[in-house]
Amino acid sequence: MFRSVQGSWGVLYSMMDAPPGARRLLSLPAVYLCLASAVLADGLQLSGFATVRGATEADGPLEQDQAIARLQVGLDWTSTSPFSFHVHALARTDDTGSERGTVGFPEAYLEANFRSERARLRLRGGGMFLSTSLENVDALWENPYAISSSALNTWFGEELRPVGFDAAYFRSGVMVGATVFRGNDTLGALPPDRGWALHDRWTLLGEKAPVDGEVYTSVSAETDGRLGWSARAGWIGERLTLQYTHFDNRSDGLRYGDLYNWNTRFDIVGVGFTAGPWTFASEGGWGPTYLIARGRRFVSDIRACYALVSRRLPRGRATVRVDSFDDGDASDAALTLAYLYLPRGRLSGGVEFATTGEESRLMLQLRFGFSGP
Amino acid sequence: MRRLAAWVLVAGASVPGRAASLVVEVRDPGGAAVSAAVVYAIPEGRTPLPPPRDAVMDQKDRRFVPHVLAVQTGAAVAFPNSDNVRHQVYSFSPAKKFQLPLYEGTPRKPVVFDKAGVVALGCNIHDRMSAYIVVVDTPHFGVTRDGRTELQDLPAGAYSVRLWFSGMRDEPRPEAVTLAAAERRELKLSTARP
Repeated sequence: MFRSVQGSWGVLYSMMDAPPGARRLLSLPAVYLCLASAVLADGLQLSGFATVRGATEADGPLEQDQAIARLQVGLDWTSTSPFSFHVHALARTDDTGSERGTVGFPEAYLEANFRSERARLRLRGGGMFLSTSLENVDALWENPYAISSSALNTWFGEELRPVGFDAAYFRSGVMVGATVFRGNDTLGALPPDRGWALHDRWTLLGEKAPVDGEVYTSVSAETDGRLGWSARAGWIGERLTLQYTHFDNRSDGLRYGDLYNWNTRFDIVGVGFTAGPWTFASEGGWGPTYLIARGRRFVSDIRACYALVSRRLPRGRATVRVDSFDDGDASDAALTLAYLYLPRGRLSGGVEFATTGEESRLMLQLRFGFSGP
Repeated sequence: MRRLAAWVLVAGASVPGRAASLVVEVRDPGGAAVSAAVVYAIPEGRTPLPPPRDAVMDQKDRRFVPHVLAVQTGAAVAFPNSDNVRHQVYSFSPAKKFQLPLYEGTPRKPVVFDKAGVVALGCNIHDRMSAYIVVVDTPHFGVTRDGRTELQDLPAGAYSVRLWFSGMRDEPRPEAVTLAAAERRELKLSTARP
């Protein structure tokens, strides 16, 4: 399995390390190849969604492009064996000044599941979202409750993407998990430098996303040769979920060209509860992050939390979410109201209003989903 | 009127061939009622099985509904997704290994459970989702609610009454029960290890 993981990463990295123009040319045929493979081969499945969105102009945490079109495709190979693989491809019109941010892969991993009647062991190798979010719980890390994600999960979508190995063990409702990862050296740059944000633009593997116009952040670049780690534990019941996660990217905090490393240690607690049509979810995270400049260590204690209440309706879903976040110097809050219209069929729509008091944003979205045997 | 009702009851009970029923109460060693336990009665001797009834294992609010489903061998089970998130249902249990690709709505084809045994279900997207399908070689089964279930329409005869519950390590010793026509018997079972 280890050789397989290395092999698949070799292909992906060779694409990421190519010059931008060549990489774009390479990545498009790769998507077509995936499409053709899924049609021709048993056990392969394509699913995903396309969205078009319009948003009013807003600055600060609510800033994003005013017109966005995105296509997200999941390619999954499953079988009755314990092994499977998952590739998440994304193409979008909003590049927000990033490099290699238009077409690529947010995730790609191999997975093995070993399950007895009472317990399950899941092993993953590749690039993946950390399995902590109680908000982005749909396939392709989509948020089923609102159009944007909370400040906490937006940050994870932008900067936290373990590239390594993850093991999770589940038994009688108890979950323990651990991850060892490379990359993620710049994790922690965005909250203190650019500021917290509320959107759903996930950084691609190999992408360089801007922090302040001079330096960039990358989920997959490995500059200091240090491995990061994460551990988590929790109770995953039918209705109630409680979990605690800690991660440490063990970064050296130094600058490498246009990438500035931040050393970040972060704790997250989460609680989720479902009762009939109602869902409640809340996560809070806190921890120090620092960089080293001119021999000095600059530390910021960053913090973010959210709470959401969502109600399933006969043909839709309504959600209220409250965010609170602190970049080490100042704190802010946001209120988000979302209604998703979910008729039977592939087309759905959504409207979301978010405000920080100083800035407000209204978004309208049309979504076309596809999946299924 | 009461006399008439009593007479009808007695006369009905004495009709030869009328089905019996078995009311089963399941308790743990501490005396607490055990819910979602599967009780099934296997007739002694070779009895041709009737065609199995189809069943549904729904997915709602990122839970399987019901948590425990009992079906007769050969039953076709539909897996509708009533959520607005996608699910990817799988089982690696020896009794039935299958994977439903990621889907919304209801898959066109149900899954046929053609081998007796316990099938543990999961969802690849949502770790908290788990459920069991207990496949039995008899049409006489029930799932306890508040510790009780009633097996109805049992032909008179001898049965081996068996029990399955989540977390079971060793199956409790089966109870031998002989039912007369139209008899309504109460039976107490314990989840204590044999």
